[in-house]
Amino acid sequence: MDYLGDISIAHAKGGRRGKAVIPSETMRDQIDDLQRRVSKEIEEAGTLAELDEVRIKYLGKKGELTNLLKAVGSLPKEERPEFGAKVNSLREAIETGLREKSGYLDRKALDEKVRREVADVTLPGNLPEIGSLHPITKALREIVQIFYGMGFTVYESREAETDEMNFVKLNLAPGHPARDAQDTLYLTDTTLLRTHTSPGQIRGMLEMEGRLPVRFIVPGRVYRRDPFDASHSPVFHQVEGLVIDRHITFEDLKGCFLEFARGFFGPDTQIRLRPSYFPFTEPSAEIDVSCTICRGRGCQVCSRTGWLELSGAGMVHPRVIRNGGYDPEEVTGFAFGFGLDRAAMLKWGIDDLRVLFENDLRFLTQFEGL
Amino acid sequence: MKVPWKWLNEYVELDWTPEEACERLTLAGVKVEELTYEKVDLSGVVSALVEDVSPHPSRPDLRVGLLSTGTGRFTVVSGAPGLLKGNMVLLAVPGSRLPGGMAVETKSVAGVESQGMVVCSNEILAGAEHRPGEDIILLPAGIPLGLAAQEIIDLDDWVMDLDLTVNYSHCLSILGVALEASVLSGKPLKLPSLLEKWDWAGPWGSRRPEDDPEMPGEWKIELADPDLCPRYVGKLVRGVRQTYSPPEIERRLMLAGMRPISAIVDATNYVMLETGQPLHAFDADKLEGRVIWARRAKRGEAIETLDGEERPLDEGMLVIADAHGPVAVAGVMGGARTEVSGETRNILLESAFFAPIPTRRASRKLRLRTEAALRFEKTLDPTAQPVAIERAAGLISEYTGGVPEPARSDANVMEPVNKSILFSTRVIKRALGAPISAGRCREIFESLRFAPGPVTKVGEWETMEVTVPPRRVDIEEEIDLCEEIARHHGYHNFEPRLLSPATPGGPPSREYVWSDKLKDFLVSMGGREVVTTSLLSQEDLNAMGWDAGDARGTPVPLQDPLSSNESVLRTSLLPGLLRVVFRNQSVRMPGGFFWETGRVFYPSAEELPLEALQLGLAMYGNLREASWVEGSLEATFYRLKGVVEALLRLMGLEASFLPGASMPFHPGISARVVAGHSTVGEIGEVHPLVMRNLNLTGRCATGWLSIEAILAMAKEKRFTPVSRFMQVERDIAVAVDAGVLAGDVIKVVEETARDLASVRVFDVYDKPPVPEGKKSLALRLTYRPSDRTLTEEDLSTDRDRIIDALRARVGGEIRL
Ligand SMILES: [Zn+2]
Repeated sequence: MDYLGDISIAHAKGGRRGKAVIPSETMRDQIDDLQRRVSKEIEEAGTLAELDEVRIKYLGKKGELTNLLKAVGSLPKEERPEFGAKVNSLREAIETGLREKSGYLDRKALDEKVRREVADVTLPGNLPEIGSLHPITKALREIVQIFYGMGFTVYESREAETDEMNFVKLNLAPGHPARDAQDTLYLTDTTLLRTHTSPGQIRGMLEMEGRLPVRFIVPGRVYRRDPFDASHSPVFHQVEGLVIDRHITFEDLKGCFLEFARGFFGPDTQIRLRPSYFPFTEPSAEIDVSCTICRGRGCQVCSRTGWLELSGAGMVHPRVIRNGGYDPEEVTGFAFGFGLDRAAMLKWGIDDLRVLFENDLRFLTQFEGL
Repeated sequence: MKVPWKWLNEYVELDWTPEEACERLTLAGVKVEELTYEKVDLSGVVSALVEDVSPHPSRPDLRVGLLSTGTGRFTVVSGAPGLLKGNMVLLAVPGSRLPGGMAVETKSVAGVESQGMVVCSNEILAGAEHRPGEDIILLPAGIPLGLAAQEIIDLDDWVMDLDLTVNYSHCLSILGVALEASVLSGKPLKLPSLLEKWDWAGPWGSRRPEDDPEMPGEWKIELADPDLCPRYVGKLVRGVRQTYSPPEIERRLMLAGMRPISAIVDATNYVMLETGQPLHAFDADKLEGRVIWARRAKRGEAIETLDGEERPLDEGMLVIADAHGPVAVAGVMGGARTEVSGETRNILLESAFFAPIPTRRASRKLRLRTEAALRFEKTLDPTAQPVAIERAAGLISEYTGGVPEPARSDANVMEPVNKSILFSTRVIKRALGAPISAGRCREIFESLRFAPGPVTKVGEWETMEVTVPPRRVDIEEEIDLCEEIARHHGYHNFEPRLLSPATPGGPPSREYVWSDKLKDFLVSMGGREVVTTSLLSQEDLNAMGWDAGDARGTPVPLQDPLSSNESVLRTSLLPGLLRVVFRNQSVRMPGGFFWETGRVFYPSAEELPLEALQLGLAMYGNLREASWVEGSLEATFYRLKGVVEALLRLMGLEASFLPGASMPFHPGISARVVAGHSTVGEIGEVHPLVMRNLNLTGRCATGWLSIEAILAMAKEKRFTPVSRFMQVERDIAVAVDAGVLAGDVIKVVEETARDLASVRVFDVYDKPPVPEGKKSLALRLTYRPSDRTLTEEDLSTDRDRIIDALRARVGGEIRL
């Protein structure tokens, strides 16, 4: 690399212009010589220290270029400006050369340092603690979001209830055979642990005090007198939905539930409504969703039917509407209720209800994630 | 309810496959839970003619028959009375197999070689020995020789197992299902001749003039408790003899899930399955006196039921009684004393209406879930009693040769039911949405054998008066008729419609949003959300060290718990969380941080218990195991406290931690969390005693917070301007008596220093050179002046002020 290239050209031009004046010829030789040497030494300097030596040798207080500048004073007066300018431009050229070389060496040293610093990227990173929501909460959050999108809000109702709210107001008078289907855990003769989230329908309606529309879901814990097994638990969770308004029909129920099922289980999910019986709805329906495992083709989980029972539903019984403080001649409504645990199990392919309540870390950690 | 396919098709000839029928019935609300193919495996059983019979050389009770199957001759030894020359029988030739794997071989019977066996119906249906008095099957004459048994007796069938909701009591019979299938398929209903008279709505419900409750010279029926038994029909059949039902009938009963017993009992069961009306047969000669009582059981009464069990009765149960005492638990099971047996010559048939609730109660209490009880528990057709009893009497007469008395006894205090409901197409439009015409509605009602009146136009709607037969006890009002229309129109034929989007949805309250944020925060802290049961045992609470003096030790009890393990409502989340710790320790998980939000319950002066929303936390072991980068993260009191501090800070709460919390906490390593002058929670290490009670190992930190309390105090953050000046840090180390609380030292600094942003304790040291009984706290003070750059002089003045205050207020000596 020729660090002083452009100075050499300037010197050559000066050479053509200059006449044969001996002192100046000598001077010119000295400049040429110095230029050659500096250029060579800068080029050869391999470290910043060596480069610094070159700087001191030529540009230091007693450096050669300094001496040369002093010698310009002994030249004939008319030649001094020319040589003074030459020496000065040589000085600038040397300084530039030194700076560039220094930059080069500095970068080279940095590159060298960087080259030596190597991480084994396959070593594991320093992982922060990772937490997780329980699948029941995870499922509920998804469900809640879907219903928010359909204009629903959430109503949270109490778990210990009166027989009146849990049964009578829902058209289940004492001795009603449908009470048997919900083996009840009583606290006293008149109070119990709610067997379904349906009393939330009554409490929620009463709190609305006749305002329309009524659109809410009631998620929460429910209790049955069931022993613990793969598909039963004395404590489980339900999501109840209630819509009361003018002109609400069975078709709205179908549309609303389909929207939910597709949002929760996937856009190609189908639903099937079958007549069923709940004292608080009329007509009543059982809602099946296409099997989440086999997508409706038939498998073990769906007993080869392609359908999974998910929810009870129906048009709210006129008596229940009245018990909620609304006039069944003026408004109609639909309601549905399904097992949140079951929905979560179907969504993630969990085959045993008990694992939801065991809280084994090997289970919980599977639900890490956003 | 099991429905054998061929039996069903006897009443309605369906052109569906059994699978199609299941689908159609299910979609109309008659849910078929399972469809199975039931097959009797008979190989090598063929028709054979008894060509000759000779006595057995040594045994007078046996005979030797020579049988021909057309292609072969077989010598068979048998004691069956039906082995008579010229009879056509079924022969199991050597090498054939009977159900249950029973193999038929050539074997010597009392010295005579028997080549196979002639079979009775128990052998070919159940693969079991013939029953007392059971004869071999005698085939009608004219059947070709050597014909396989399956070709002669139709034994294989599909069986639909129905799972019916409680309102479908009208489908608890083959006839009821047949009617539904007839409506759905459009195929006509074909009834047995007697049942044809059953017009489904009509006069059978009322008593005929000739049906007197006092049969001449026979029994008088006394309805002592008409609320429990408003109708009791009796009929005498004389001169019956013990026999078994024809194999086809026995097979049907078996397919329907019932065990064949004898022709008489089978007839009552058969008619129950056919019509839905349970019946009972008493041995009339064993009844004492001439009055049949339908009355409540008396205190101390008991009955030996047909299953041989002695059962105590109570006054809530209805019994059928004679002069001597109870002869049946009404609607549940008959008594042994009047049981029909081989000696029975005269029988009294019972066909009654029992009230559902007491029947259900009795059946549950006695743990006798009989087919009869399962039906009486639902409200049955109040008009079916006479037709059912006549049908049964007819069958008994046919099978046993008995002669029914022409009259029957009918005690009936039920009001005749005339359910007439005004039906308008308005209800269709309002509830269903889809336009279904009045004509179509009328068609559906007619096919259901309801009686719809003429259609009248009222404004924009069309109305009709619909008379509903008594058997449809589920239909009470217009909306019920609407459901009948909906299900026969087909739920699948309604179009889904999206709710109007006009209403904005979203969370109901700020608290709801914040409780979600709280969960997100705990996840971000590495916490694992758990869900534990709300039902605990008193022992679970006692194990936490809560005695009767502690509110948490006196829970809300369940009245009738399933087990003592789940007999009280949780008063805290901690027992459940510590159970999760135990679970994970027992499967050797090295550590975990668990949390749960949920309700806890306390007794209250109000009718309902108090419900409070709680956050529970528990951690043990290594929260993060050591890696090549850094050491492990241990679950300690301070780790848990840090999480709680951060949580409270993020919620904008100012809280303090006061030493010492109650059980289950370690008294020296626990704190009460106090905010706004009230305790909002407790945290601490678990008391070693509790650790021992729960079989926990190592150390475990736990705690709870009242979610309602902290959400009520939670504050949204406000912006404060950021200073343009740089922050400065200074350290100070102070030695205080070991008993002095760090919190008090920090408080002194916070109250004294100026422009102070925070104080951080970065070391606590109590070893030499710190004097015995003292501890040294190293504090880093961060100054964040808002209006100037602090000078060394400012800082030094502040330091002097702090030193003076520490000396004066906590006896602190500055070490640095
Ligand atoms: Zn499937």
